[in-house]
Amino acid sequence: MTFLLDLAIVTISCLVLGLVSKHLRQTAIPVYIIAGIFLGKSGFDLITSYDFVEWLGKIGVIFLLFYIGHEFHYKGLKEHGRLLAGCTDFIVNFFAGFSLGLLIGLTLIEAFILASAVYISSSAIVITTLIENKRLIHPEAETVVWLMVFEDIILVILLVVLTSIMVGNSSAIPISLATALLFIVLLLAIIGRLSNFISPLFERDDEIPILLTFALIFGFSAIAHHLGVSVELVAFFLGSALSGVESFKRPFGAIITFKDLFLTIFFFSFGMMLPIELSGLPSANFVIALLTLITLSILGKFVSGAIIGMRVHDSLEKGLIIGAYTTPRGEFSIVLLAVAIGTGVGVSELLSSLVIAYVIILSLIGSSIARYGDKIGKAMAGGINKLTTQAHRYR
Amino acid sequence: MRITELPDIGTKYELESSEGDKVAVIFLTTGEIELYVLEAGAETPSVTRLTPEEARRVGGVLTGTVLTIEREDVEVTLPEISDRKINIHVYPVTEGMIGKSIADLAIRKRTGVTITAISRRGESIISPPAETVFEAGDMIVAIGEHEQMKACEREVFGSK
Repeated sequence: MTFLLDLAIVTISCLVLGLVSKHLRQTAIPVYIIAGIFLGKSGFDLITSYDFVEWLGKIGVIFLLFYIGHEFHYKGLKEHGRLLAGCTDFIVNFFAGFSLGLLIGLTLIEAFILASAVYISSSAIVITTLIENKRLIHPEAETVVWLMVFEDIILVILLVVLTSIMVGNSSAIPISLATALLFIVLLLAIIGRLSNFISPLFERDDEIPILLTFALIFGFSAIAHHLGVSVELVAFFLGSALSGVESFKRPFGAIITFKDLFLTIFFFSFGMMLPIELSGLPSANFVIALLTLITLSILGKFVSGAIIGMRVHDSLEKGLIIGAYTTPRGEFSIVLLAVAIGTGVGVSELLSSLVIAYVIILSLIGSSIARYGDKIGKAMAGGINKLTTQAHRYR
Repeated sequence: MRITELPDIGTKYELESSEGDKVAVIFLTTGEIELYVLEAGAETPSVTRLTPEEARRVGGVLTGTVLTIEREDVEVTLPEISDRKINIHVYPVTEGMIGKSIADLAIRKRTGVTITAISRRGESIISPPAETVFEAGDMIVAIGEHEQMKACEREVFGSK
């Protein structure tokens, strides 16, 4: 019955820390990871079956991608400057992360993983802050929301690229890519064909709807895993395919609950598996790399935000506000790293501890920046305006 | 009116008034409704979060389905039917009416008002036939336009 003890440790520690962080109006993602670090392999080593907790965590990632796929809206992305905004966000921040990765001596693939983690903001934190700050009436809030949608698309592309370039040797890349695409097309076709048959099953009042949902998720995931296709990608497209089935709305509510639970376990398990020596961690170079990375990431979002603001809203201030709101990083950076580790090719300890520390710090700093995003954006725009007028005067 | 999808949040309906004030209604995916009002030139909007029931009531007021309740008097405007207000009023039976039927009093012929129900000893008579005779203690539910109701109060209920 040791699994009961493991479950108790995970849920109780996350519950307590989660409550504390919600009380402090902070995002809970970093504290779940920290709980894992302290109670797991590099900490007090309290977990009996690491495999068991890790499996539960993996289910969390599958559900998260399934959820994003289901909620995915691409219509409306072409409206006034949204694509331009998305591309700016990607180019500025991805390449900032990529070049810094190469600079600190990571391999090309590792720099790619780092760049992905640096680029992608935390939709969960960003959206919650926008609602709490009552920004939704402002046009720049719409731009921020659509940036998150664009990031979802890039996330899928990054997953495709990551899982196919990490197959080992380069000759296998086209094959794995083709298998993945073929499998996804097949999945969409099957769901499309079966939708008339499965639609009434989702309307039932018994356990059939949720069973069917789990059967679809795990069934397709199992086949995908067997074929070497990314399970996360398949979950995304399955969610997207099922969003077309009208009656699926009902079991989907339950899926959100499962996602929330298992994703918390995922954050815990990720911290728990982290092979870092807590005492040996803060070597000077590591700290310098981490601080540079964080500074660059914050600056990157402000730069991309400023460009977007000038191009889309004709306003530097609105752009800097967009920058402030998109600063928090979180769940997706961790998911991308987890997927990369999951391919089994091997990710250096330097990279994984760097990303982990990065996400913990930047989710906290970032959510504070986002919370005061309007004031920060305003103050920065005011400062920049002052500087430019002074520069003109002295010329 | 501008309609925008806000993925993960809901749908936003936005309107700018002629004064430059902005009003936005956001239907959240949670089912609740947020109402934003941003005065022209103001920085922070006023926001309230309504349940669907509350939102429906506010919506009713805004579309003109107004319910003005004044003691037992209910005035309803149904914009789809007519611009005139329809009054529903509850009257206690008056002395001059006791022992007479609706037909005897010729209420509809004289005033245009229709008696839709009579409440008698705790029971309701819905759509009473014209030969129904009023008894002491009856409560009468009448429906008609505002002027017709005034006429009815004067000519039927007022007469001794």
